[in-house]
Amino acid sequence: MSFHKTGLTGRGMATLAATAILGFAVTGTAQAQDYPAQPLDMTVAFAPGGGNDIMSRVLADILQKYDLYTQPISINNRSGGSGAVGWGYFYNQAGSAYDVSSTSGSIITTPLQADTPWHITDFTPVALLATDDLVLAVSSDSPYTTIEEFIEGARENPPVIGGTGTVNVDFIAIALFAEKAGFEFDYVPFNSRPDSQTALLSGALDALMNSPGQVVGMVEAGEMRALAYTGGSTPAELEGVPTMASLGMDPGVSMPRGLILPPDAPQEAVDWWIETMRFVVDTPEWQQYIASNMLTEITLFGDDFNEYILNTEAAFANTLRAGGYID
Amino acid sequence: MDIFSDLLMGMSVALSPVNILYLVVGALVGMTVGVIPGFGPAAGIALLLPVTFGMDPISAVVMLSAIYYGAMYGGTITAILLNTPGDSGTVASTFDGYPLAQKGRAGPALVMQAVASFTGGTVGVILITLLAPLFSQVTRSFGPPEYFLLAMMGILTLVVMIGGNWRLGLISALIGFALGTVGVDLETGRSRYTFGSAELIGGINFIPVAIGLFGLGELFYAFYRGIHKVDSSDMITYDRKNNFWPKAQDFIETRFTLVRGSLLGFVIGVIPGAGAAIASLVAYSVEKSLSRNPERFGKGEMAGLVAPEAANNGASSGAMIPLLTLGLPGSASTAILLAAFLMWGLRPGPLLMTQNPEFAWGLIASMYFGNMALLTISIFAIPVFVMILKIPYRVLAPVVLVICTLGTFSVNSSHIEIYIMLAAGVVGFMMRLYGFSPAAVVLALVLGPLAEESLRQTLTISRGSFGIFLDRQASVWIIVITIVLVVVLPMIQLIGRRAREGKSTT
Repeated sequence: MSFHKTGLTGRGMATLAATAILGFAVTGTAQAQDYPAQPLDMTVAFAPGGGNDIMSRVLADILQKYDLYTQPISINNRSGGSGAVGWGYFYNQAGSAYDVSSTSGSIITTPLQADTPWHITDFTPVALLATDDLVLAVSSDSPYTTIEEFIEGARENPPVIGGTGTVNVDFIAIALFAEKAGFEFDYVPFNSRPDSQTALLSGALDALMNSPGQVVGMVEAGEMRALAYTGGSTPAELEGVPTMASLGMDPGVSMPRGLILPPDAPQEAVDWWIETMRFVVDTPEWQQYIASNMLTEITLFGDDFNEYILNTEAAFANTLRAGGYID
Repeated sequence: MDIFSDLLMGMSVALSPVNILYLVVGALVGMTVGVIPGFGPAAGIALLLPVTFGMDPISAVVMLSAIYYGAMYGGTITAILLNTPGDSGTVASTFDGYPLAQKGRAGPALVMQAVASFTGGTVGVILITLLAPLFSQVTRSFGPPEYFLLAMMGILTLVVMIGGNWRLGLISALIGFALGTVGVDLETGRSRYTFGSAELIGGINFIPVAIGLFGLGELFYAFYRGIHKVDSSDMITYDRKNNFWPKAQDFIETRFTLVRGSLLGFVIGVIPGAGAAIASLVAYSVEKSLSRNPERFGKGEMAGLVAPEAANNGASSGAMIPLLTLGLPGSASTAILLAAFLMWGLRPGPLLMTQNPEFAWGLIASMYFGNMALLTISIFAIPVFVMILKIPYRVLAPVVLVICTLGTFSVNSSHIEIYIMLAAGVVGFMMRLYGFSPAAVVLALVLGPLAEESLRQTLTISRGSFGIFLDRQASVWIIVITIVLVVVLPMIQLIGRRAREGKSTT
C-alpha cells in the first residue's frame, strides 16, 4: 500500500478500515487462544482443477491475504477413488487442529457405494459456504421454450434426460423434481459433464442436467436453452431462468461446498474456523469466486451445517434406494 | 483475409518474450513427462496447473498446451527404446518402433518419430487455423450411437491387426475386456468386481496395466534370456557414426504415410472421446492395408512407426477444436485444460473464440512455434536418449523398474495400482513367452468400457431399438467407413497380391 501518494480513494480507505477492524476482531480472539501455531494442511480429495481444488486455493489466498492464518498453508491434492483416498487420509488425522478439507457431493455418495472406513458424520463440520447447483437445459432445436411447456410435454411423452453418473446429485435432483412435477423420464448417465452436452447437441437427448458454468456459454451462443435451476437463486448469467423452488417443485438437494475438520477436532480450532469463515464469506475475493464459478451463496455454520448435511444425505439415500441403485 | 489477420494477431501475442519462455518451459516439461512411463500429458498438466493460478491466462494456456502436445513427442521415446508406451496413444508405436530399435535402427526411428510428430502436429494446427468452425460441426453430430460405432471400428481394426496368431490375439483382447468391466457400472451405479475396495470403484486404469505388460514384461523377459549377464546390452545395437540419421529412402517411402497419418489422426482427434488411441490404431491398420509389403509390418517397418506417430500428434491438435469451438474436451488432458479455463475465469463455449480472440489465436499461433521448438529439442535430445542403450542391462534394469513404479504411483498416488502394475508385469512376461498380444489387452481395456457404456446409453435413448444406428446420418457414415477399412481394403490388397503372384508364376 503506497501511503506516500495522495491518491488513496475513498473506497480503498473504506476497505482498509473494514479489514483492520474485522481482522483485529478475528486475530484478537485467535491470539488469545494461541491458534494457529502450526502450518495448515489442506486436503483436496480430487485432482487439481476441480471444484474442490479451486475453492481450496481461493480460500488459502484469502486466509493469507488478510493475515487470518499466520502460519504457512499447504494444499495437497490427495485424489483417487472418488474422494475415498483423500478423505480416508483426512479421517486418519483425527484430533488434529491443523488439517482442513472441503466437501462435495462425493463425500456423501462414495460411502454409499463402497466400504469406506469413514462416513460424513465422522468429520467435524465447520461451515457450508456455497452450493453448486444444476441447470435443466434443452437444445435450441427443442420444441420447448419454457419449463411449463417442458413439463406438459413430459407428462404425455416421457423424455430422455442425460446427466453425469447415476449415484450423483444430477440424477437425484432431476428424479426429485420429476416426482414433484408429475412426469416420468428415462435417465442416461454419462462419465462427465461435457459428454452429456455433446450428446444433447447431437440430438440424442431431449434434455440434460448440467452445471451452469458448463452450460452458460452454450446458452449465450443460442445453442441451448436453460429451462430451470435447482438452486435457491439463479446466477446473473442465467437471469430470467426460474428456480425449481419458485415453481413449487424444489428438489432440495445440491452439491455442498463446505469446510470440515477431522474427527474429534479441538473445540478451540472449530471456534476459530467458524469465526474466520464468517469473515471470509464477506470478502470481495470470496464474492468474486462465488460469481465467477456461478455458485449459489448460502452460509450455514457448525450445527446448522451438520443438519444440512444429514438432510442431504437422507434425500440422496432415499432416492437412490427407491431406484434400486444402492442397497 | 480474416483468418490471417487473426493469426497474425495471435502470433504477436505468442511471440512476446514472456510467452516464448513459457512455451519453451512447457515443451521441455512435456517432453520430460512424456519420457517417463505413466507420467503422461494429463499428469504433467495437473502438476503445473496450480502454478498457473493467478497467472495471465494466455501465458498459462500456452505453457499447459505445450506440455500436452510435447508429451506426445516424448512418449514415443520409451515406446521405441524400451517397448514401454507411456500413454494409450503410443501403444501402436511399439508395434514397429521397438523392432526397428532391435534391428539397430534406434537412431533413425527416433528421428523419424520426431519428424512424424512434427508433421502431424503442424498439419493439425494448419487445419485448426483454416477449418475450425467446419470441424466443430463434426463434433456436434457425435452422440452415444456414434461413439459405440467408433469403438467397434477400433476393436475391428485391432482384430485385423492381430492377424497371424488370431487365437492368442483374441484371448488377449478378452482379458482386456474383462479387466475393463471392473469398477462402478455407470448405468446402474453398482460396483462390479471391486470387492468393497474404494480404490477400485473408478475401474482399472490403463496406465499400470500398460506399464506392467509392456515395460516390466519386457524387463522380466530380458532377465529370462540372461541379458543382464552380458557386459553391454546386446538386446539393441546402435552405431553412432553410421546409423543415426534416417536414410533418404526412409523419407521417400513414408512421405504419403506422413500425410495420411496426420490427416486421419486430426479427423479422429476432432471427435471428443475417440482420441489418440483410436487414431493411431486406425492409421496403423490403414498403412498396413495400403502397403505393398504388409508382411513387413510388426517386424520393423518405418511406415508402421511413422503412421501412428503422425496420427497421435494430429489427434492431439484435432482435440483442440472441440475444446476451443464448443468448450467440450475430448480427453483426460483436454478436460484438465477446460477446468483450467474455468479457473482462469474464461467461459468456454461457442463464443470463446470471438469473445477472447487473443486467448484463442494466441494459443493456436503458439502451437506452430511449439511444434518447431519440439522438433529442435528432439533432434538435440535424441543422441542423449540413445545413450541409454550403451548402459549395461544389469544397471539399466533396476532404474527402469524404479521409474515405472514412480510413474505409476504419480498418476493417482495409489498403492493398489502399483500392485496391478507388478501383476501385469508377470502376466506380460508370460504373454511375451507364449506369443500373446499385450497390445490387444491394453487397447481392449481402453475400448471395451467405451463400447459398453455407449451401447447401453444408445439403447436407453432408443428404448431398446437398434434401428437408431441407421436413423442417424453420422452413424451410417461410420458404418460405411468401417466396412471399407476392415473388409474392402484388405480384399483389394489380397486381390492385388494374387494378381502379382499370378504374373510372377507365369
